[in-house]
Amino acid sequence: MKRSYLGEFEEIVLLTVAVLGSGAYGVAITDELEQQTGRSVSISAVHAALHRLEEKGMLSSRMGDATAERGGRRKRLFTVTVLGSRALHDIRAVREQLWNSILPNTLPAISI
Amino acid sequence: MNLMPQPPRPTPPLLAERLLAWCCAPELLEEVQGDLHERFHRRLALFGERSARRQYVWEVLGFITKPFAIKRRSAQQDIDTLPSPILVHPAMIRNYVKIAWRNIAHNKTFSAINILGLALGMACSLLILLWIQDELSVDSYHANGPQLYHVMQRQSYDGKVETGRFTPGVLPDELKKQFPEIVHAAGYTGWDARMTFAVGDKINKESGHWAGADWFKMFSIPLLAGTPATALSTPNSLAISRKVAEFYFGEPTSALGKSIRIDNKTDYQVTAVFENLPANSSDTYDFLLNWQDCITRNPWMKEWGNNGPHTRIQVRPDANVAALNAKLKPFLRKYNKEMGRSFDAELFLHALPDAYLYSNFKNGQQDGGRIEYVRLFGIVAAFLLLIACINFMNLATARSVKRAREVGVRKVVGAMRSLLVGQFIGEALLLTSLALLIGLGFIYLILPSFNSLTGKHISLQITDVRFWLMLGGITVVTGLLAGSYPALFLSSLNPVRVLKGALKFGSGARLFRQGLVVFQFVLSTLLIIGTIVVYRQVNFIQTKNLGYDRENLLYVPVEGDLATQSAYKTFRDELLRLPGIASVSSIQEAPHNIGSSTGGVNWPGKDPNVLIEFTQTSVGYDVARTMQLKISGRDFSPAFSTDTTNYLINQTAARRIGYKDPVGQPLTMWGRPGKIIGVIEDFHFQSLHTPIAPLIFRLSTEPSSQNFMIRTQSGQTQQALASIERVWKQMNPKFPFAYRFADEEYTNLYKSETVVGSLANYFAFLAIFISCLGLFGLAAFTAEQRTKEIGVRKVLGATVTNIITLLSADFLKLVLIAILIASPLAWYAMNRWMQNFEYKIGVEWWVFAAAGILAVVIALLTISFQSIRAALMNPVKSLRSE
Repeated sequence: MKRSYLGEFEEIVLLTVAVLGSGAYGVAITDELEQQTGRSVSISAVHAALHRLEEKGMLSSRMGDATAERGGRRKRLFTVTVLGSRALHDIRAVREQLWNSILPNTLPAISI
Repeated sequence: MNLMPQPPRPTPPLLAERLLAWCCAPELLEEVQGDLHERFHRRLALFGERSARRQYVWEVLGFITKPFAIKRRSAQQDIDTLPSPILVHPAMIRNYVKIAWRNIAHNKTFSAINILGLALGMACSLLILLWIQDELSVDSYHANGPQLYHVMQRQSYDGKVETGRFTPGVLPDELKKQFPEIVHAAGYTGWDARMTFAVGDKINKESGHWAGADWFKMFSIPLLAGTPATALSTPNSLAISRKVAEFYFGEPTSALGKSIRIDNKTDYQVTAVFENLPANSSDTYDFLLNWQDCITRNPWMKEWGNNGPHTRIQVRPDANVAALNAKLKPFLRKYNKEMGRSFDAELFLHALPDAYLYSNFKNGQQDGGRIEYVRLFGIVAAFLLLIACINFMNLATARSVKRAREVGVRKVVGAMRSLLVGQFIGEALLLTSLALLIGLGFIYLILPSFNSLTGKHISLQITDVRFWLMLGGITVVTGLLAGSYPALFLSSLNPVRVLKGALKFGSGARLFRQGLVVFQFVLSTLLIIGTIVVYRQVNFIQTKNLGYDRENLLYVPVEGDLATQSAYKTFRDELLRLPGIASVSSIQEAPHNIGSSTGGVNWPGKDPNVLIEFTQTSVGYDVARTMQLKISGRDFSPAFSTDTTNYLINQTAARRIGYKDPVGQPLTMWGRPGKIIGVIEDFHFQSLHTPIAPLIFRLSTEPSSQNFMIRTQSGQTQQALASIERVWKQMNPKFPFAYRFADEEYTNLYKSETVVGSLANYFAFLAIFISCLGLFGLAAFTAEQRTKEIGVRKVLGATVTNIITLLSADFLKLVLIAILIASPLAWYAMNRWMQNFEYKIGVEWWVFAAAGILAVVIALLTISFQSIRAALMNPVKSLRSE
């Protein structure tokens, strides 16, 4: 099967949507990403990635509820689609397969 | 209880909000705004307002620079909102401008040729338009303009009809009395009076006229002091210009009521100070004197039979001019007793605002005037512009191969023909506007020399709406003229054939292009021939042997203390004793311009039914010797006391009188019988526009009417002048020594021909230059087109000469055709112009040959640069690309 290509940032965003479950929207995803990865992420980049993923069919979205601090505007809540889920699983499978193929002591040791 | 006002809740920066709302795609706006607000409020709580706001702006910028978030129109929307094919979408206009600019920038040579040619053409046309505008504005500033008329006289005698402004001096007052339609009437002395003004130590020559009392009521000349009613009402009143008032009294208003001594004889009272006359006034005077004073000084003006001064009238606005004209026609018959038999005089009206441009009369009918020059230069302006436009058309169509593909693509994606036409005309307008800017620069640079050449005061009237209209008009006309053919041609291309690469232009387009080149060179050749002919005629006039020697001849008025018989004689004797002076005589009028004429000449055997007008003037002793006229018989001489009733006549007069051997024969003039003592060979005493008339010289008895005529020995003029001035200062200290040279005065007589000659020179040069610019471009283009052909020919053994001949022959053929067409046209036009001259140089065949050779040589030089370059090219280079 021909898979759509996923960039590294897209993959992380897709995973973060999965992590957040039913509460995945722009601000929450950005916050979660910053916490988990420790890197500074701009909200517009996250939006762009979400937009792209939705176009690729790996995310679906619906409008959620409004809050006062949003000036009465609704959130767009994202969920991972079956296609998205398969893409994540495929990536994971490939990685694990690769990890398993590495002979012990081939990678230089790292001290934690 | 006191309610504390709540501090307003901080909000995100308004500007950033607006920007986001304006730029962001509408379907994304809600969530993006929501997210941004949420983060803003969190930051507000954590880091404070300033940081939150800054971050907000930053994040907005993050969004609007990301393509996914930006609002865009769908193609469908574009089509839905397209209003009509004429009102094009801004995006398309941007595209048009961009493509036009790229085309200009990409082909620097062709753009430069186009813009330079158009700029030169437009600059010339604008300059000529400014000149025409100035010519048309002459005498147009009078508020009463439509009611102002010259009263003209048409005299028929001796089989001739002569028309002029000369009228009896008593006519104005009589007309005003007789005709209720005439509100104002004023006499005006057509001749320039140069008089010596003295106020205290300030002495200077001023020039002016005598004019009727109604003058300032008729003409819109602002008075700085005095009133129109009193300006010229008494015999000693004097109206002076601001310039004169400032010279003698410092200030215009303080001059009023002061007295000025004129010619050291009579005191006049300044009764009015008028504003200096505008540059576009055909009357020029620095002072005006009262009409009564004029008649007192010139008693002959009381007679109805004597003509001289002009008469101007103002009619009532409701007057029937045609009826007035009919009543005026026989008016003089009541008053002039000489009328009848073979002499008749009629009066008629000539509208004053037209008089400057339509001043010539032939056989009593209006026949052109300066308007002919206005028309001529109008045509030249159109020609120059046309030549520049043709360059543009030629280069644009020749190079259309390069644009054909663009046209094809545009048509395929849906451009309508009207849009393409609009595009190409727009491009032409863009180029024209650029050219206009450069052309205005040219005008700015050459305007001062143009003004000094034409004697005008033209300036760029930046504040005048008409000037801008003129600029806009010329830009649009040029743009349309230049752009219409390429636009129609390019937009007619068939996209399928163009895109298949099988673009072959029919012979029609090529023929058309060749026709345009021929047309350009016809115009250029016409102008070259015209220039040569005008130049030769002007040269002919200036070097023509007039029958007298005008070199080293100067004259100065007999005035002041010299105007008595004895002082006159003493001065003359003094001068003759000075070294460097060949001879001294005197004459009433300038020798190149003797105008006054009389019918009062009689001799035995004269046919009483024929009235012959003789030109006459009074002269002093030794007149023929001083003017170096050839004479049979003898000169007036102090040795003969009877000479006061003797006469000198010219050969034409001798023929009219009919004596076999005129010397010694009787002649009676104005009832004074005398003898003809000499016959002088015909000489030109009037402009070469007119034939030589019969002339009589009589001996002057009144020195004050005379001008000393002094011949200096050649090479000693400067010393002679200095010594004459010394004698003058001794004998006549109250008057400045104001001399004039006969040759300079003569040159001034043909000023308009000289100006036309030099203007024609410049314009012919420009015309041929612009034409050659176009030819240069076309040659470059052809050479480029035929690069491969030339390469193949060279490989097969063609020599450089062969190829140059090949490339030049095509163009030379066109130039030769142009010469063939232009020659008869030029011949016709030049013959018509020559008819204005009674004495002229023939239009000879070699002029056409010279002009033709000139055109061919210039064209050849232009083409050869390109053809030699093409011929010298290495064939390996031109053929390698395939």
